[in-house]
Amino acid sequence: MIEKEKLKKFINFRIVGIIGSILLIISQFLSWFSGFTLLNIYSIYISFSLGESFLFLFPLISGIVCALGTILVFIKSEYKINAVIINFMGLGFFLLFIFEIVTKDSPYIGNAQIGFYFAIIGAILVFFDVLNILMQEKNNNKKV
Amino acid sequence: MRVKKEDENSSKKNNPDDLESNFYYALSHEIRRKMLEIIGDNGFASFTTLKKQLKVSTGTIYHHLETLSQLIEQKLDKKYYLTDLGQHAYKYIKDNIETLRRNNFSSRDLKSPLIRTLMFLTPKPLIEQNNKKIQYYSITLSIGILILGVIFCEITKIFPFLLLFDNSIAIFPSSLINAFPIHGVFFIINFFIYFIIIEGACRLFYKQKNNSLLFLISFGTIFIPSIIYLIFHFLFIITQTIEIPQVQALDNILMIIFQAWSLWLLIYNLMIHKNLKIENALILSLLIHYGGFSIILIISL
Repeated sequence: MIEKEKLKKFINFRIVGIIGSILLIISQFLSWFSGFTLLNIYSIYISFSLGESFLFLFPLISGIVCALGTILVFIKSEYKINAVIINFMGLGFFLLFIFEIVTKDSPYIGNAQIGFYFAIIGAILVFFDVLNILMQEKNNNKKV
Repeated sequence: MRVKKEDENSSKKNNPDDLESNFYYALSHEIRRKMLEIIGDNGFASFTTLKKQLKVSTGTIYHHLETLSQLIEQKLDKKYYLTDLGQHAYKYIKDNIETLRRNNFSSRDLKSPLIRTLMFLTPKPLIEQNNKKIQYYSITLSIGILILGVIFCEITKIFPFLLLFDNSIAIFPSSLINAFPIHGVFFIINFFIYFIIIEGACRLFYKQKNNSLLFLISFGTIFIPSIIYLIFHFLFIITQTIEIPQVQALDNILMIIFQAWSLWLLIYNLMIHKNLKIENALILSLLIHYGGFSIILIISL
C-alpha cells in the first residue's frame, strides 16, 4: 500500500513534463543521423533553400511550446485545460516532424543516434504528463 | 400535505412584494422550473398540456401556478404565458442549466483568453442542435464538409489521417492514384473511420451509447478547420509558393493550429452529445489521436 502511494506520488510529480520538454529542446543540439545535429541539417537545408528546412526546427519549437504549457500548469493548476491544449500543439510540431522523417527517411531510422531517442523519450514524457494532469484532476473531483 | 406545508412556508418566508426572493423561491422547485420551461419552449401552454407533461395532480399544478403568479399569467384564451419576469426566469434556467449539469470548466479556465477564443470559434448551435431546423443546417454542413474535403484533397493530392494531412502516406501505387480519386475517397473513409473509433471508444470506456445519430450529424463541424487548412494549402500550391521554406513552415504551423482547433471541436462535441466531462473528452481524443499516429508510424517503419 505504501509502495503504491509512493509510486503514485512519483508519477504525479509534475517535473515529468518539464524533463520531457527539456529533453525535446536538447535533442535539437545532439546528433540524430550520421553525427549531424538537427541544427546542422537545418543549416544545410536552408542554405539550399529547400522547402522542408524549417521542419528540422520543429523538435526545438515543440520543446519550447510544451515547456510553456507545463510551466503554466505548474504555476496555476486552474489553467490545466489551457496547458493541455498548448501541450497538444507543442506535441503536434514534434509529431509532424517525426511523421515526415519516418515516412520519408525510414532507412536512416535504424542508424538513429542519441538525439532521436532523447526526442522520442521527451515526447512520451510530455504525453504522460498531459494524461497525468487530466487524470489527477479527475481524481480530485471524484467524478467520472 | 406537502403542498400545503410548502404553501405555508411560502407565505411565511416570502413577502409578495419582495421580487427577488419570489423569483428565487419560484425557481427553487423542480416542477415550477419545468412549468417555466414548458411554457417558455412553446410560447404558451394550456392547463391540459401542463398536466400531461408534468404528470402531477391538478391540485399540485394549481398550487405551483399560484406560487408562480408573478412569473406566469393566464390570458383570456385560458392559456398560460410568461410575464416579463417569467421570461427572465426562463432565460436564466436555459442559460445556466447546461453549465450546471456539465460543470466542465473552472471559472478561471473559462476566463482564459485561449478557451474564450476557442469558445468564440465553436459553432455551438450547430453542435447542440436544439431544434429540427438547426439539425437540417447541421446535416447540410456535414455533407458540404465531405464534398469540400473530397474536392480539396483531390486537387491538392494530400492524404488525410485523422486530423492531420500529409502527402507521404502514399501507400498506393502511382498507377492507382492516377486512375482513381484515392485522396478524395480517403477523406470520406477517414471521416467515417474517425467517427466509428470515437463512438466505439465512448461506448467502450464510458458506456455512452446515447445521441450517436446527433453526434454523427454534427461530426462534420470537427472538420471545418481541416477544410480551411486545405483551402490555405491549395492557395499555396496554386501560387507556387509551397516550395519556399518559410511558406512551407507556415503551411505546417497552420496545420497544427487548425488541428488543435479541430481537437477542441471534437471535445465540445463529446461534451454535448456524450455528456463527457472535459477531462475525459480530452483523454479520449488525445489517446485516439496519438494512438492512431503510433500505429501509422509503426506501419511506416
